[in-house]
Amino acid sequence: MIAGGAVIVARNVHKSFGAVKAVNGVSFSVPEGSSFGLLGPNGAGKTTLMRMVYGVSRRDREPPSEIRVFGHDPERDELAIKFVAGVVPQENNLDEELNVTQNLQVFARFYHLTGRRAAERIDALLAFTELADKRAVRIRHLSGGMKRRLVIARALLNNPRLLILDEPTTGLDPQVRHLIWEKLRALKRQGLTILLTTHYMEEAFQICDTVFIMNRGERVVEGNPQALVRREIEPYVLEIYTREAFERVRDHLPAPGTRIEESGGVVRVYSSDDAGLLRAGERLGPGDYHLRPSNLEDLFLKATGSTLNALQ
Amino acid sequence: MPSSDRSGLPSLPWRLSAVWYRHFRVYTRDLVSNGLPPFLEPLIFLAGIGLGLGRYISEMGGMSYLTFLATGLPMTAAMYTAAFECTYSTFVRLEFDHVYDGMMAAPITARDLLVGEILWAGTKGFFFSFAVVTVMALVGVLPLPGSLLSPLIGFFTGVMFAAMSLVVTSFVTSINQFSFYLTGALSPMFFFSGVVFPIEELPGVLRRLAEVFPLTHSVRLARALDFLTVTPALPWDLLFIGAFTAAMGWLAIWRLQRRLVQ
Repeated sequence: MIAGGAVIVARNVHKSFGAVKAVNGVSFSVPEGSSFGLLGPNGAGKTTLMRMVYGVSRRDREPPSEIRVFGHDPERDELAIKFVAGVVPQENNLDEELNVTQNLQVFARFYHLTGRRAAERIDALLAFTELADKRAVRIRHLSGGMKRRLVIARALLNNPRLLILDEPTTGLDPQVRHLIWEKLRALKRQGLTILLTTHYMEEAFQICDTVFIMNRGERVVEGNPQALVRREIEPYVLEIYTREAFERVRDHLPAPGTRIEESGGVVRVYSSDDAGLLRAGERLGPGDYHLRPSNLEDLFLKATGSTLNALQ
Repeated sequence: MPSSDRSGLPSLPWRLSAVWYRHFRVYTRDLVSNGLPPFLEPLIFLAGIGLGLGRYISEMGGMSYLTFLATGLPMTAAMYTAAFECTYSTFVRLEFDHVYDGMMAAPITARDLLVGEILWAGTKGFFFSFAVVTVMALVGVLPLPGSLLSPLIGFFTGVMFAAMSLVVTSFVTSINQFSFYLTGALSPMFFFSGVVFPIEELPGVLRRLAEVFPLTHSVRLARALDFLTVTPALPWDLLFIGAFTAAMGWLAIWRLQRRLVQ
């Protein structure tokens, strides 16, 4: 362990694929026991950065950079890192031919877990991920949410000290998403360090102590999600769904400190005066506007000029 | 042999065995459709040759034609199974099912994964040649007990063709391109490596070409073992298989590592 109890330290990391700069001079550190979320649109460099942490992607040689995970360089000691880190990749990549238990048995062997020790660990994990009644079911008969939970169980086989999740809940229904968040919070309470990527602002809010918002391979903004929203952005936003409706209320918006963004045909009016925003909105038809507290997505919009999903 | 060091990290043999075990479990999941055809195929071959071609050709290379074939076919079985495993199956695991992405998250290196892959293909080479030997021995066309050892050569044949096939896979961008390898490399080897007729019968250039076909050396080695004879070509066959496997294995790992760790 290195000074300050940081599990992951990355400094000036660059990564190019041919002429494409996927990661461009990124630095961050993840303290032990915290959860750290990489956010950003597709192509922002989140997955690449994450893969570099467990050694399946290599950073550029120049300029000089550093990644340390539990004090190990992933390019030199990938085994030591992978042994104590569980990984949930973006794609489920389970063995479709095998059933739930067999998938875990096959993977347990990579960690030197066999026989009774493996069986006990698998039982505990199936209970934890609420898959105990599915143990003999083949993968192709599992729902998307069950597969995702199984991949999470697989990542937990060796009692990792670091859990790496690449878009853990993308494409899942809200119930499953909430179930997975609950499990991740439980793991966090046990002291597990979590590194995750996500497109979902709510996911980051629910799980992360720190969010690191990226765009085009670079850091946009970093900090505690609640604090960031409090500090960096007006607390309320009035969304107006047509340009024409916006023009009708333009002169009735609260005067000072109002900021206007337009993207994807939606006009967003930011202000700390929620009563003023509401008065303006009420001049419009009920389907024309929506007043809500601002969130990380708005912060991202402010910082990059585009929505998180705009580049997908 | 210690299976892990003090930090609990699995040792190299253990890591390779874990890769092997994954393939073993997936393969044996469907024993009937995976395990039966290797035994049926030689039966079909026997019927076709015994009832048909065998009536016209009674003797080949100083033995009955059936025995000549029966001593060569275990090696082609090993060749084909290893080649299919490390072309189509590897490509699917690499590009379609993303199986390797999952495995690379486990504490193994890309090199462990690829060597495990080759060892698994060698195991299939052993099993497939064993199936042919079993059938041929049962119908009494193989010299015993020497032939019972030839699945060992089947293992090394599997390893050799696995390494070579992985090199091919490292160049392939679409799964259909494997057809070129099958018809352009494996089919000629089937016919010109001394399996269906002795290579000594070939005209000059082809005769020399057959000498650099990997399968030629497997077949010659297997026949030497079948009859428990020491032939003058034996050291050359052993050297070829060893050197060719090492070179192909090295090239395959060097090239595919960059696909697994980008």
